[in-house]
Amino acid sequence: MSEQPVVYTLPVLPLKSAVLFPYLMMPLSAGRPASIAAVEAALATESKEILVFTQRDPDVDSPAKDDLYSIGTKAVIRKMNRSGEGHLELMVLGMERVTLLKVDSSEPFLKGRAIPLPLPDDKGPEIEALQGALAELAGEALTLAQPNTPQELRGLLASNDDPLRLAFVLAAMFSLDADKSQSLLEAPTRAEALRMMHRYLMHEVQVLELRNKITNEARTEMSKEQKDYLLRQQMRAIQQELGEKGGEQAEAQQLRERLEKAGLPEDILKEAKRELDRLEKLPPGAPDYNVIRTYLDYVLELPWTKSTEDSLDIARARQVLDEDHFGLKDVKERILEHLGVLKLNPNAKAPILCFVGPPGVGKTSLGQSIARALNRKFERMSLGGLHDEAELRGHRRTYIGALPGRVIQAMRRAGANNPVLMLDEVDKLGHDFRGDPAHALLEILDPEQNKTFRDNYLDLPFDLSKVLFVTTANALDTIPRPLLDRMEILRLAGYSEEEKLEIAKRYLIPKQLKETGLTAEQCVLPDDTVRKIISGYTREAGLRRLERAIGSVTRKVALKFAEGATGPFNVGLEDLLEMMGPEPFNQEEARRDLPPGVATGLAWTESGGDVLYIEGTLLPDGKGMTLTGQLGEVMQESAKAAQSYIWSHAGDFDIDPALFKTSGVHVHVPAGAIPKDGPSAGVTMATALTSLYSKLPARSDVAMTGEITLTGLVLPIGGIKEKVLAARRAGIHTIILPKANQKDLRDLPEEVRKETEFIFASRVEDVLRTAIPQLAERMDASKTRPIIQAA
Amino acid sequence: MSTRSKSWPTFLAERPAPWQPPADIYQTKDGWLVKFDLAGVQIGDVMVTIRGRRLVISGVRRDSFLEEGASHYSMEISYNRFERSLEMPANLENARVTIVACEGLLLVRTITEGKQNV
Repeated sequence: MSEQPVVYTLPVLPLKSAVLFPYLMMPLSAGRPASIAAVEAALATESKEILVFTQRDPDVDSPAKDDLYSIGTKAVIRKMNRSGEGHLELMVLGMERVTLLKVDSSEPFLKGRAIPLPLPDDKGPEIEALQGALAELAGEALTLAQPNTPQELRGLLASNDDPLRLAFVLAAMFSLDADKSQSLLEAPTRAEALRMMHRYLMHEVQVLELRNKITNEARTEMSKEQKDYLLRQQMRAIQQELGEKGGEQAEAQQLRERLEKAGLPEDILKEAKRELDRLEKLPPGAPDYNVIRTYLDYVLELPWTKSTEDSLDIARARQVLDEDHFGLKDVKERILEHLGVLKLNPNAKAPILCFVGPPGVGKTSLGQSIARALNRKFERMSLGGLHDEAELRGHRRTYIGALPGRVIQAMRRAGANNPVLMLDEVDKLGHDFRGDPAHALLEILDPEQNKTFRDNYLDLPFDLSKVLFVTTANALDTIPRPLLDRMEILRLAGYSEEEKLEIAKRYLIPKQLKETGLTAEQCVLPDDTVRKIISGYTREAGLRRLERAIGSVTRKVALKFAEGATGPFNVGLEDLLEMMGPEPFNQEEARRDLPPGVATGLAWTESGGDVLYIEGTLLPDGKGMTLTGQLGEVMQESAKAAQSYIWSHAGDFDIDPALFKTSGVHVHVPAGAIPKDGPSAGVTMATALTSLYSKLPARSDVAMTGEITLTGLVLPIGGIKEKVLAARRAGIHTIILPKANQKDLRDLPEEVRKETEFIFASRVEDVLRTAIPQLAERMDASKTRPIIQAA
Repeated sequence: MSTRSKSWPTFLAERPAPWQPPADIYQTKDGWLVKFDLAGVQIGDVMVTIRGRRLVISGVRRDSFLEEGASHYSMEISYNRFERSLEMPANLENARVTIVACEGLLLVRTITEGKQNV
């Protein structure tokens, strides 16, 4: 200002923690009596002017001159209003920068004398450059602080004519603190002010950037899930707009409809509905969604009340069973009995049958046949090697990928609650640390418990009592007793040669011919040939090898036809030799002449019966008894019992008792590699040892079986049919059996009974008489002699 | 106590520095009439300058109704310096200008001799 220096004498309004800049409007509130007095004094003038200075220390209540910064602003009060608490609300407009010269505190307010402190009017490229940079930075800061800044504000920033004003506006906008604002106000030049503001703003921008970065990070983390959710919501909205039901809604709706129609029992329906309600509340992305869906699918598909109607026509059932299987009278009778019961009492509990027999006798196919006869669904599951209880009873739904157990799965496949459910190989259940599946079977197979079988997965009671359980096993000794106790054992012993011939003629040959594409006329297998195959080429209780052998013969015949041969082909014995090579099994398995110390026994094996020889020999310098051939404990004991009996009755058999003392005995049972056990070789042991001590050979055409006691009684044993058939296979036609086993002969085919001589023994002596004819003579002779007590 | 409110856009409510009186512009038969809402302003405190199309009115409004013992209870009228710059539709450099204060309004009339420059 080139004119006369002006001095203002005006009331002073001290500001606690703010700076009023020239050119800027600022709302203020005056509450201190001195401030109110100052404002009122200012208002009482024509021009409404006031001096505004900032306090150095905001905590001072009635500041003096030294408490105020010496540079402040002259301002005009534009508007004033009184608030309720006696405060004055002001709108003041900064006019120009002034410096305080003197303060007069004689009045109730401060009265100051101040002179204008204009900035040098510096212009030039530096200022312009600084202004541009500041405006740009301000734009950046604004974007960071408030992304949607009104456009006018930006325009104002860009179009500021006075650079100083830009700096002041920015200071007010970004709420610089009082100290910094004051320094800005005191800046000696425009350039200095702009630089200062640039510095402040730069800091501000950095802070804002950092803050935005933090918020953005937090936001992106959250938004991944939110994005999915949003997209789903949008999809739903679109579907609704299109009049379609949302995927998961439609699914839930569909499930609900199915539930209504399924006709589930009351309690099951309640539980299923509860799960469905849960499903509807879940977003489809939730991990539980699919779990519940699969669960409901299972519940819906299970045949809770659905059952197939039994065919109660007994004549038809008998016919079906006979068509499918030859023989097996007992089993068929049992099935027909059950059918009869069902006819009278439709709610009868189904029996739990267990078919025991060697491989290939038709246990599994019998199950199918039963289902066919009863007109029920058939489901089969193999328990062989199953070692986890959860396989049967399922996993709880909390596990990932949980499924119901095999029983429930089989029920679902069957689609009816009364199928024939075959549990194959129940004797081959494994068990380990995870539990014993046999124990789970206890529940499943107990008619008292399986009415409410609870699968871990379903966790709902399912009625298994209508299921006709059929289990199969090759042997019973590995089946736990409680399990065995629940089942009705039906033995399927091996087939005799005649039975096999019949089965071959009725089933196997037609089947194999069909498979090779031959007609019954083109390939004829006479009985003799089949018999030869049975006895010479296969040696088994079942029929699998026989079937394979017949298949092999028919294929060879088919080949001949394919090579151009014509006319029916009759497979004779010579042809058989040519086709199959020499017989792998020798019919004359039975030994011809037995030396003293060898006897023929009969054994039961899982694959049917077998003939075994017990060999004994004396050891002149040895002592005691040596037993070899992998004999089990029971068998060893029965050998010792036999020896003791003979020793104690040496006189009766005309044996030198000294022999027992002076020489040891070695008993061996071939084949040495196969473990053997059981008491039924007792009589054979006794015969072998008697023959050994008496040096009289036993008959080679006599086989025997039976348990002995120390007092010489012969006790009954099992597996008669297999043993007899094995003896016959070996060409032995005289068989010594315990007397108590006489009743078991009923099981034998008619021809076998006719062709075999059975000798029933109740005491060891009966056995020995038959087995060692020469001894019988001696025994008869010794009876006439007086008994001499050996010393 | 004097504290500052935090709402910074308030200073945008009006253009800072001198306040601006509202104005109406009329086209007349022979020129222009600009009407300013400037009550309580002494005609001697007003200055009108014309440069080309630009018409600038500036001056001071003084509060002349001050009575002894009276004090403001509230204040809404702006006092002190005012300034208003108007871009007119025509060059007024050679126009005759008259200023009249009438019923609280300040009337600036310009009369262009001869043709009108529109």
